[in-house]
Amino acid sequence: MTQDSRTNSIVINGLNDSAFKVRLNRNLEIIQSVLANPTTVIGLVIVILMLMMALLAPVITEPNMPDPYQMPRDWQAARSAPLTPGHVLGTTNRGGDVYYGVVWGARTSLKLSLIVVCLTVVLGVTIGSIAGIVGGKVDEVLMRIVDVFLSIPELIFALAIAAILGPSFTNIILALVVVFWVKYARIMRAQVIRIKQRDYVDAARIMGDSKIQIYLKDILPNSFSPVMVQATLDMGNIVLVGATLSFIGLSEAGIAEWGVLVSEGQAGISAGRWWASTFPGLMVFLWALAFNLVGDGLRDVLDPRTETKR
Amino acid sequence: MSSADKTILSVKNVKKHFPIKEGVFQKVVGQVHAVDGVNFDIKEGETVGLVGESGCGKTTIGRCVAGLEALTEGNIYFDLPSDKIALLEDSEKQDDKKVSAEQIEEIGNSYDIGKIEGDLFNHYRRNCQMVFQDSFASLSPRQLVSDIVSRPLRVHNVCPENEVIPRTINLLEQVGLGAQHLYRFPHQFSGGQRQRISIARALALDPKLIVLDEPTSALDVSVQAQILNLLHDLQKKRGLAYLFITHNLSVIRHMADKIVVMYLGKVVEAGNTEDIFANPQHPYTKALLAASPDLQSEVTSGMAALDGAIPDPARPPQGCSFRTRCPVAQPECGWEVDDVVRRLEHKDSIFNFLKEVDQSDAFNAKFTFETEAAANQLMAAMKSDDIPDAMKKMVSKLNCDAEHVTVSFKPAKTVPLIACGNGSSARCVLVNK
Amino acid sequence: MSPDTIYSSDSLSGDLIASVSDLKVYFQSKQGMVHSVDGVSFDIVDGEMMGLVGETGCGKSVTARAFMQLIQTPPGVLAGGSIHFKSQKQCKKCTGSGCDDCSNTGREIVDLLSLTERQIRELRGDRIAMIFQDPGKALNPGLTIRSQVAEVFQEHRESDVFERAGIADTMSGLTSYLLKQYVRQETNFITKLLLKFPPFSLARKKVDKAINGLVSDALAETQIPNANKIMERFPHELSGGMKQRVMIAQAIACNPDLLIADEPTTALDVTVQARVLDLIKDLQKRHKTSVLYISHDLSLVRRVCDRVAVMYAGKIVETGDAETIFINPKHPYTQGLIKALPSMTHERGKLEAIEGMVPELIEPKAGCRFASRCKQKKANCDKTDPELKAVSNKDKSHKVSCFLYE
Repeated sequence: MTQDSRTNSIVINGLNDSAFKVRLNRNLEIIQSVLANPTTVIGLVIVILMLMMALLAPVITEPNMPDPYQMPRDWQAARSAPLTPGHVLGTTNRGGDVYYGVVWGARTSLKLSLIVVCLTVVLGVTIGSIAGIVGGKVDEVLMRIVDVFLSIPELIFALAIAAILGPSFTNIILALVVVFWVKYARIMRAQVIRIKQRDYVDAARIMGDSKIQIYLKDILPNSFSPVMVQATLDMGNIVLVGATLSFIGLSEAGIAEWGVLVSEGQAGISAGRWWASTFPGLMVFLWALAFNLVGDGLRDVLDPRTETKR
Repeated sequence: MSSADKTILSVKNVKKHFPIKEGVFQKVVGQVHAVDGVNFDIKEGETVGLVGESGCGKTTIGRCVAGLEALTEGNIYFDLPSDKIALLEDSEKQDDKKVSAEQIEEIGNSYDIGKIEGDLFNHYRRNCQMVFQDSFASLSPRQLVSDIVSRPLRVHNVCPENEVIPRTINLLEQVGLGAQHLYRFPHQFSGGQRQRISIARALALDPKLIVLDEPTSALDVSVQAQILNLLHDLQKKRGLAYLFITHNLSVIRHMADKIVVMYLGKVVEAGNTEDIFANPQHPYTKALLAASPDLQSEVTSGMAALDGAIPDPARPPQGCSFRTRCPVAQPECGWEVDDVVRRLEHKDSIFNFLKEVDQSDAFNAKFTFETEAAANQLMAAMKSDDIPDAMKKMVSKLNCDAEHVTVSFKPAKTVPLIACGNGSSARCVLVNK
Repeated sequence: MSPDTIYSSDSLSGDLIASVSDLKVYFQSKQGMVHSVDGVSFDIVDGEMMGLVGETGCGKSVTARAFMQLIQTPPGVLAGGSIHFKSQKQCKKCTGSGCDDCSNTGREIVDLLSLTERQIRELRGDRIAMIFQDPGKALNPGLTIRSQVAEVFQEHRESDVFERAGIADTMSGLTSYLLKQYVRQETNFITKLLLKFPPFSLARKKVDKAINGLVSDALAETQIPNANKIMERFPHELSGGMKQRVMIAQAIACNPDLLIADEPTTALDVTVQARVLDLIKDLQKRHKTSVLYISHDLSLVRRVCDRVAVMYAGKIVETGDAETIFINPKHPYTQGLIKALPSMTHERGKLEAIEGMVPELIEPKAGCRFASRCKQKKANCDKTDPELKAVSNKDKSHKVSCFLYE
């Protein structure tokens, strides 16, 4: 290696570091502008607290063995009010510890929303991309299917599917996936059609890059931000719909889930035992609110339409 | 230059029509004739300018040449050897079948950019690049300059991975940027700098031809001068050929060796830059020159500004397509029934009582009105000053029978490109008269 | 501000219609205050066509928008200066006989920047009108051409409408109230119902007809063929040149004293541009309207304008007669701009480009803004701001802000 090329490679290694730094800086800038909005910060704080609760559930409560997702039953202490020793938030009329339900319910909710969002995003983005890129009859057929799905109200559709499949937590996940993927397919299709007309896609075609590479390098990254916003919003919505389904009784009985817990506690409300329904209900509300706040904040920063307004 | 005579690109009778779709089932109801039979050649190292107003099809031609659009008709040959060119020209001229159909097909299979495959296609891809007008839209906002400029190198595996970045820096330096710009996002640059990045990307594969689609239209004058100088320097250094597409006549006069003037999908005048600017033949070229603020008061003073709008490219006029706006239209320009409507539709109430039009072809039609008075009104209008004398001369039949009016024109041929010396040609019946 | 400080200069004494003095418009940004317009002063003579030339981001459009108070605050900040405007209206204080307030012209003089929202609305579209670059965006896609042009009359020319309808004298009580509501488009359920029945419906029809007539006249003024048909169309059905004509019709409908044209032909093809320019020039001559013509194209401005001000990075660098500036430019930037135009006199590849870029306008340092790109830069160019001064004693109107001429 000659002297010259060696110094060159040193320079280049230094520059490679700076490529990483530039990308990092850009991401930091985006995060900074997300954090500039106070309501987003409030949402984010709640989200982080919720996530910590979900992740640390085995630490802050003693897991109920063998299946920690099942509510522990303490029949002796059934119907105790909040602040009873051993049952900070009271118990249900079937002896379930409300505190345990709230904490492990967060874990259940996280599991539910993460699985559903991941599956729906993958499914929706794939189908939307195919429709947008292939176009023509394929697009027409796929979008009519999407229309059919969209024409039925979310909740009723999920309810019907879950009811057909029978009461179980897995079936709720399935039902929600079937209901929620269509939105992503729609968003993605619109984005792909918009982006594929851009000059930089043409430029990539002219330099002879393959279709897959163009999709992965140009179309996908530039059309993904609305999907991300919708995914954040749906993290909240899914728990809301999921809790509704559980409340109706489409989940397994006795599972540590907020909807189940609300349903378990509702019989006692008229007798003045408010706590068994209130605390898990509050959790559902906070969860949905927080993710919606964060999603809105993300939209303000990422959505190209609001971006140009500034 | 010895290679200066080698033709790098031949555009032969290229047509590009876009279907107009309507309704739920997307039925094709018509065709927009964006490009309608265009011919020109580009030689190695020369700049061919393509001028015209918006909607004349110049950008579509550029996209066809860059391989972004499939042609409706015609061929674009890339890097065609001169003996093959002669062969093609023979086949056009003669009917004696000296050139067999197989020979033509063979040429097509190895040089027509719409047919070639594999290595031949890669050869074309590497040698024909494009620079777009909007430098914002032509650079992906999520990629760093290093990724954008080095991408062609990586796609074609031009060099080993450890040489990619040095070569990228070299490319940036050639367009007046440097290593310090490698790791930035496009939005951190000004319009002129972004256009430089686009040019660097186009240069990466060391092409022979670059299609420049309005490369400076979005830029300020002072920056435009920088980019034009850069383009010229690069051309001199690398022997590049340019297809320079623009609406700006002073830019094209400065940059181009040859000029092709387009109107409504057709070439109306083509020739050497000096000839066209010194002695424009086609009335449209004259009008364009007259309308450009920094070019007026030279050849074309006294030329009135153009009236009227460009006709609908879905129904382009027969004959000379410019005659609807032409200040010196002649009887031979190919008048047709549509011209009656074009001329008179701005008059109030003439066509308000029109019931139906029975048009057998472009030159014959029967208008049926609801009332006799309306029919008479049309008759009167046909004889009034609203219809130019040149058009009146071509009316072969004008009958009024109660509420029916029959109008016939003498059929006229399409006006061809007529050579007018110095290798330039114009599509106008007035040439050589 | 006391009246003294506002009118003490000889700003509006003569035949000036507007005088911008030391206008400063800043914009807040994350990186700091952007000094978009930083101390701009120029006058517009009554009945002349004044050109404001400059490149992207030089502040010419911001200046124009300041005339109409169209700058959004925040992020915009009106940091100082004034725009005095003399309308055709009588001075309120002296009712035309002349006083100090109106510099003895008898006409009302206002500072456009200090008017309230209501006062400026009265002027907008009536005494000062504006044409924008992109007629496609400036016209409402959901309304017919008729109703968009009619809006101007409804807003500012109520009495004209009634006069044209021939009911101005005969109107009384309820009819008058209802029709005024109708013209102002402030009808509610009850008034709408009342207007459906005679005698009100008869008067309403007369008013409709009058508005139609006014609109069609305004459109015909801009040489739109077949104005009666065009009126019922929507903007997307018209070509770019036609839309620009509609915009012009809208702008001149009330025969304004000052017309601000912000790059009105940039979006148009050259052949159409030529027609629209001729039209603006013709209207300006016939109605003696003053025009502030904003453009990036120096050769175009030379063709249509009487006087020119050249802007660079938020400041005016040179101002004077259009021909003088084009033939004998003094400021290095103006010289550069003219030389950068591609022409046959230049050998190919040898255009005299202005190297470098427009400087950042965030909290700019003292000194000439053009110094970083200037080939004739001197030592003090970086230190102090040059002032806009007359080039010579002979030609007071040709002013330049450059140390080369001090």
